[in-house]
Amino acid sequence: MAAELRLMIPTKESVEPDDRQLIQIIREGEPEAFEQLVRRKTTKVYSLCYRIIGNAEDAKDISQLVFIKLWENLEKYDAAYAFDTWLYRMVTNVAIDFMRNKQSRENAVNSSLRLVKTSTDPEQGVVVQRKEIENVFHAVSAVLSPKQKTIFVMREMDDLPSAEIARILGCRESTVRNHLFNARKLMQAQLKKKFPEYSRLWEERA
Amino acid sequence: MSDAELLEHLRGCDACLDHAMAVDPDNFFRAIGGQELVPPGGVDAFASDVMTQIRLRHTEGSVARRLLIAPRRLAAAAAVVIAIGISALVYDRNTTRPAAPPAAPVVQLATKPVVETYDSTGATIIEVPVEGKNDTQVVMIFDESLPADL
Repeated sequence: MAAELRLMIPTKESVEPDDRQLIQIIREGEPEAFEQLVRRKTTKVYSLCYRIIGNAEDAKDISQLVFIKLWENLEKYDAAYAFDTWLYRMVTNVAIDFMRNKQSRENAVNSSLRLVKTSTDPEQGVVVQRKEIENVFHAVSAVLSPKQKTIFVMREMDDLPSAEIARILGCRESTVRNHLFNARKLMQAQLKKKFPEYSRLWEERA
Repeated sequence: MSDAELLEHLRGCDACLDHAMAVDPDNFFRAIGGQELVPPGGVDAFASDVMTQIRLRHTEGSVARRLLIAPRRLAAAAAVVIAIGISALVYDRNTTRPAAPPAAPVVQLATKPVVETYDSTGATIIEVPVEGKNDTQVVMIFDESLPADL
């Protein structure tokens, strides 16, 4: 009986609309609901942007641009497809366009190099190690094409399966695997050149 | 333990991460994933900025639309005025048009024709005028219905 009673009490999760329902609410004339969608997706969008771009301020600007584009194109969303796939496609398109701008790519590399210098505080233990790996990643991933880097980030950091990445980018799964393979090779070479202490990991394995 | 759970553990445990990287060095960069990042200033400020920009764009868009619509309306009104003006002019011209000039007067021949009757349709008869009374009268008859070896 207690279990039945518990089931009848609406929980926060059951009241909160899912992504599709929220979009339907926005389309039906409640634009304020869009703010709820922004709050829900901010960390997801920002994390992906930051890992692709490697600069917090640029990642924030790009994330905002993504949400503005999302607002402008919300009518085009087909509810038959997963919303996150559609959102990720928008993020990758905007981020790749940004990365293709030569000036911004140079800024990304410079900012990551600056971070490498300021993040070697031995007092911070694990955090520093993770931050160090992050800085190494941004430094060595500068050799990747925007698409290679985007695929690498989605696969290795966001743990998305290759099939999902292919759906997001609108390409074949084999293309995703090729980009991943090439990205790893290029980064290993760059790691050997810039950070030989880390490249030993791969050398020992070989 | 699922792959996702294992990865999550690796991202929080240095000892296991070191071991995982020794087995597969590709785990090196996987160590920095997983965790969701917060934009500078926090989610609330970010969402608020986005909504402000959207409202601003919406307002700009409305103003731009109004500015775009005003010339269109003016152009449409001008077109209507021009159309009415042209119609009025055409009507005016039609109503005050001068009477058609009279038909050309029929020239009365001073002399009687040499050939008064010729029983054929489509024939052309030309009489060459004479200067004096003693001149030969030349009459040419062009008639396609006549035989060629006449």
